[in-house]
Amino acid sequence: MQERNISANNFEQCQKCSLCETVCPVMANNPDYAGPKRSGPDGERYRLKNGIFYEDSLKYCLNCKRCEVACPSGVRIADLIQQARIDFNTKPPKLRDVMLASTDQMGPVAGAFAPIVNFTLGLSPVKSVLDFAMGIDHRRTLPKYSSETFVHWFKKNAAASQDGFKKHISYFHGCYANYNYPQLAKDFVAVMNAFGYGVHLIDGERCCGVAKIANGMINAATRDAKINMGAFRKSVSEGRDIITVSTTCTMTLLEEYPELLKVGNDDVKEHISLFEKFIYKAISSGEVKPVWKEGWKAKAAYHCPCHQERLGQGIFTTELLKMIPGMELTELESNCCGIAGTYGFKKENYKVSQLIGKPLFDDIAAAKPDFVACECETCKWQIEMSTGVPVKNPVSILAGALDLEKTSELNRP
Amino acid sequence: MRFDVVIIGGGLAGMTAAAELQNGGLRCAVVAEGLSLNNISANDFKAAGGTLLRGDRVTGGTFGDGRLLSVCTAKLGDVCLEADYFILATGKYFSRGLAADMDKVYEPLFGLDVEYDPDRSTWFDRSFAAPQKFLEFGVKTQNGAALKNGEAIINLFPAGEVLQGISSADHDAREQIIESAHAAAQAILKRN
Repeated sequence: MQERNISANNFEQCQKCSLCETVCPVMANNPDYAGPKRSGPDGERYRLKNGIFYEDSLKYCLNCKRCEVACPSGVRIADLIQQARIDFNTKPPKLRDVMLASTDQMGPVAGAFAPIVNFTLGLSPVKSVLDFAMGIDHRRTLPKYSSETFVHWFKKNAAASQDGFKKHISYFHGCYANYNYPQLAKDFVAVMNAFGYGVHLIDGERCCGVAKIANGMINAATRDAKINMGAFRKSVSEGRDIITVSTTCTMTLLEEYPELLKVGNDDVKEHISLFEKFIYKAISSGEVKPVWKEGWKAKAAYHCPCHQERLGQGIFTTELLKMIPGMELTELESNCCGIAGTYGFKKENYKVSQLIGKPLFDDIAAAKPDFVACECETCKWQIEMSTGVPVKNPVSILAGALDLEKTSELNRP
Repeated sequence: MRFDVVIIGGGLAGMTAAAELQNGGLRCAVVAEGLSLNNISANDFKAAGGTLLRGDRVTGGTFGDGRLLSVCTAKLGDVCLEADYFILATGKYFSRGLAADMDKVYEPLFGLDVEYDPDRSTWFDRSFAAPQKFLEFGVKTQNGAALKNGEAIINLFPAGEVLQGISSADHDAREQIIESAHAAAQAILKRN
């Protein structure tokens, strides 16, 4: 896309057609937000002249990137907005924002005291204090921490057996699977092992940085990005592709690193793949063979997370899920759930966050699925809290639908 | 990834043809760069089970034996879309279905044959309101199939404004576009 332009982000390609505004979930629900067109390409014309034209309302952008998917001219609208926040927002991040964004630093501390932390964070007086003192909305159910991280579990229980496989991949687990929901990562190991792939950790994996970017901690995010890229290069040089499960982490590694953090990834980009694409390709090429459980049945509704929309690879998830016999899959209308990572946790955003999600919640209620299929962890928090319907990552759906023993027998070299 | 028909472009022509083909029982995918303005047929298409690749664009194709075999997209990377038939509905200059240099007009995606006048001075009329000849330029067809280096690509059917003779400035442009999409869809349905 860039070849058509002299400037980054394609902003001079904007035709003022306003299609981006029709899909902006924030604009529809928060009158204080000027919308993607004005905040992005329009505002950029002024900001290029002088930074005083930077508008504080750009903070309301939840970086869902739906504007970029809608744009017929390939303008990187959300990137323009994030870049302006990086370049012109002079306010230091609040303590709350630092805490919400520092998943790598908060995780180990909270995990060490998980039972106490989970219990206390669930108490309404504690929530009121958090709300009053920190600005974390008291109506929000806070994610639970696991007392044992995935990495700890993996080193103790699984690492030793991984070298016994013929094929190998590196697994970018992300903070959520490590600190909050290790079961997802355990399911990943089980499925990959069954298909005959040895799973290896990324050397010194750091947070992808998305929460830090959103909360204005660019230096910290860039530092993490460089460490991750170094580890990816090492993995690729050892012949191991990097497989991810979180769509947001993946979008950050593939797109935000070069575009926003200016950390180049051209040499390893081709080797980073979402689990769903990797397994879809492996099954459809006959590289691996699944054995499904007899009589497994489920009615699922697929919610395509915003960053998967941006990656444009939701088709691999739906095609993969449709391979499961007994799977009745409906695709939900493409809508933002409203949480957008740390955005929806903030007191000032809670109301808008729930308003944004409403059309999706209504669709889910109407579809009456056994569970919602979705690749995104923060969508899971939001949908489960707001609808009561459980949300399963496709990795876990496969772990449940596959006859893991027979699959691993069949795929043993 | 295999489909019966891949439609390149999600505008009026692309979505009209896609909805007709999907409803006609064929498995279709539409690659739509940007949002389709044509929401009604997009919803119709999805409700009938069609696959809409939003915000993606076709980057090139593989030809063989007088046919287009597959197209690759920016977002799907190394997984290309194979199909028995393709519809090219990429529009004219604004949507980059056609492009122009100082001395030629060309179809940038596949390098299909384009009907235009080599004499640049005839392309436009200085009177703003007069009919503009460059809007009539477009890809050539033979029995509805696109031509490349004079040879027909027998499974590639252009539809809508990318076609020679259809101009958005015409008073009945909308009817012409829908009619050409319908003709392309019917040509494919008849062969099945």
